[in-house]
Amino acid sequence: MKIGLEIHIQLPTRTKLFCSCSTAGDEVNSSVCPICLGFPGSRPMLNRRALEMGISIAKFLNCTISERVWFSRKTYFYPDLVKNFQITQYETPLGRDGHFTVGGRRIGIWEIHIEEDPGRIKRAGRAGEEIALVDYNRSGVPLVEIVTAPDLTSPEEARAFLSDLLIELRHLIGLSAQDETTVRADANISVGEERVEIKNINGLKNIERGLKFEVKRQSKLLAAGKKITRETRRYDEERGTTLPSREKEFEEDYGYIGEPDLGTFNIGQMARALEVPETPLARASRLEREHGLASSSARQIVLTSWELADLFETLAARFGAETATTWTLGPLSSHWKELQERHGDGAGEKVVPIIEEVHTGAITDAEARMRLDVLAGREAVIATAPTAQGDLEQLVVRLVDEHPEVVKDYRNNPRAANFLIGQVMKETQGRYASKEVSDMIRKELEKRV
Amino acid sequence: MTGKDLATTVRLADERYRMFAEKLEDPLAYEGGHSFHFSAKDNLCSVEFQARAGSRILEGYNPPFDATAIKRLKEAGGLLIGKTNMDEFGFGSFGTNSDIGVPLNPFDTTRCCGGSSGGAGAAASVLDGHLSIGVSTGGSISCPASFCGVVGLVPTYGRVSRWGLIDYGNSLDKIGLLASSSDMIARYLPVISGPDALDPTSQVQPPLSIEGDVGSVAIPEEALAGLSDGVRKAFEEAVGRLEGMGVEVRRVAMPELRFALPAYYILATAEASTNLARYCGMRYGDIVEETDLGFNELFSQVRSKDLGNEAKRRILLGTFCRMVGLRDRYYIKALQVRKLVIQAYERQFREVDAVLTPTMPFVAPRLDEVEKMSALEAYHADFLTVPPNLAGLPHISLPCAYIDGLPAGMQLVAPHWEEGRLLSLAARWEREFQYRRPEGGA
Repeated sequence: MKIGLEIHIQLPTRTKLFCSCSTAGDEVNSSVCPICLGFPGSRPMLNRRALEMGISIAKFLNCTISERVWFSRKTYFYPDLVKNFQITQYETPLGRDGHFTVGGRRIGIWEIHIEEDPGRIKRAGRAGEEIALVDYNRSGVPLVEIVTAPDLTSPEEARAFLSDLLIELRHLIGLSAQDETTVRADANISVGEERVEIKNINGLKNIERGLKFEVKRQSKLLAAGKKITRETRRYDEERGTTLPSREKEFEEDYGYIGEPDLGTFNIGQMARALEVPETPLARASRLEREHGLASSSARQIVLTSWELADLFETLAARFGAETATTWTLGPLSSHWKELQERHGDGAGEKVVPIIEEVHTGAITDAEARMRLDVLAGREAVIATAPTAQGDLEQLVVRLVDEHPEVVKDYRNNPRAANFLIGQVMKETQGRYASKEVSDMIRKELEKRV
Repeated sequence: MTGKDLATTVRLADERYRMFAEKLEDPLAYEGGHSFHFSAKDNLCSVEFQARAGSRILEGYNPPFDATAIKRLKEAGGLLIGKTNMDEFGFGSFGTNSDIGVPLNPFDTTRCCGGSSGGAGAAASVLDGHLSIGVSTGGSISCPASFCGVVGLVPTYGRVSRWGLIDYGNSLDKIGLLASSSDMIARYLPVISGPDALDPTSQVQPPLSIEGDVGSVAIPEEALAGLSDGVRKAFEEAVGRLEGMGVEVRRVAMPELRFALPAYYILATAEASTNLARYCGMRYGDIVEETDLGFNELFSQVRSKDLGNEAKRRILLGTFCRMVGLRDRYYIKALQVRKLVIQAYERQFREVDAVLTPTMPFVAPRLDEVEKMSALEAYHADFLTVPPNLAGLPHISLPCAYIDGLPAGMQLVAPHWEEGRLLSLAARWEREFQYRRPEGGA
């Protein structure tokens, strides 16, 4: 199975792509001006911030950045399109031939470009006497289009790809969490030979559902010995199905020409000067690599909060990965929300001395836990006495049995033990002293090496 | 002249020559402390008048903003007295492709004014001390300047902001000035020039200075084929006069100029066909009563009814040239030809200060002759004005002869951003050659 996506995401700029209207108009047709309404005599001016965001994304996705770009007019007649052409990029996308890794698989990115959004059509009135109204608040809102290679192999993977991509972009350019529902995609999917395009699906959930439906539909056809016809379909959100699109079947001719009003932009220089900051999932894989964390744990830390990951790195640098892992995955994760609410950016500074004391053995784990409870404004719970030593030993033996790969890794890399330590701390919810746990795990591992 | 006198003059001139699409009607509106009066071609937006660009489809379009050129002239003390007639969206060489009004030539009212800035040519010709803003895409200032016996200057592409200009071909459109002599233009060109944040293509330009001179010109032999006998003879006399003024004249070959005309009509119509897509009955054009029409039927109906034949022809031509499979053969190739034409001029400018040709191959034709012309014959009439327009080069048309009482112009083309030297030469020329005003006057 092959799936390729054309993803449209709104760039979180304050103003529109070609005028200074706000991107946040709520009242219908309130955020409009002669430019985004296409008045004769008006002309576009490029929003530099949108261009920068687009270049950041292209660079982040490992694309080859175009040295010089210009815009193009894509002409088609539609009531929501004020000029009956859309200003987009055709010959010169911002970047080409990139990739993004999801679940260890490298997914090709064909190209990335920016373009303007059309308005929105709203239907009103009784059935049969329906009229179409147009809201132009969205007209001219900047979008980035990311086109993937048909490298995705299942609807689940397509969703994971989008989900991971959005996590990264949220950090990179400041997307909001709502983008999971507003992201739009056209999906190309072929179960057999011929591909089918599903146009304009909204939101992560629907994209996965639409693709799943299409897999089922195409598989059934193939099983019945029928042929799949190349066609464009649309997704019916209410029924969760795809239907043949009423639009023409032949490839529409958009008659692209250059947009003469905006000129050309030498973005090569801009791109070289632009630093791509470390993104959450990239940071998670680094933590995984550097500190021997399980990938799910690394992800959990980074996605709980960027500052928690900062704290983890501070703790790891000062007290070693083992202590850092234990405490970060344990009480610090579960208390993080309150700690940040109460102490803001200073939360980390307050936590470090407590961990230092427990690390040097000045206080017990139970005492440290109590102090963290207090710091988080929780009622301190007197830790119940540890259950019998035998329980812990059993658990350790079981986990080591279950993870022969850790035993194997441990020979070359003692940090591999951290993964098991994390698991034990999680399962026992910190009922044992971390030192005790790690000693026992190491002993068990040594036995098997 | 008092405001009331001016109002009367304008009214009478318009009755005779029909140059205005709309004008100040109330005599009181002409009173007040302006230091000069000007008009703007009807494809330029202003807050006080409709901007119809010669098209019925823009009936009722009242722009909420002034074009930058208009705004700057108002700020310099100018009074905008009206909007001048033109070929629909600039599509024509004779001023006759209009649904709003066809201007008549002040030297002979059975003849056309030229186009597409025909009304601008007529206004500059008959109103004393008047400045007309025109727009040139492929010759729309030079042509009426030649036919109406006035000076027409087209600055370098990007010199004057196009904010407020209703587009024909955005990569070719240039706002320029027409007046009965060059001093008005030299005074007000600096006012309308200069960077404007509202038009990105105006933002990178060297400062304008009205100096320099033309000491030598090149006359391409390709420009001398296909001229009327009258124009050929008049042009050679003018060349002799220039030589007498000390201008060195070289006869050269510029074979690339032959390809300028087809390349121009491809690029201009390709861009025009996208610019006109917005006129689809949603906001412009008569709203069709049958609301049960689908969008495709609706816009086809409105466009069939409200666009003129030449507009339709250019939409079809332009759409054809950018279709998949044809785009490379026409649109992309035309872009390459444009580069060749620019290079051909650059080669000449290494040797001479300007390139000189007649402006039009004939004097203003009669309106009935225009009617009989095929589209191709009409397009071919632009073969001298199109090359500098395609290359985005500044050029000026100066009256250089009167043939049986009808004016004829010569056109000088200068390197990019060198409009100053053209105006210096014009001032010198005007000391040697007396311009005539139409006998009827205003």
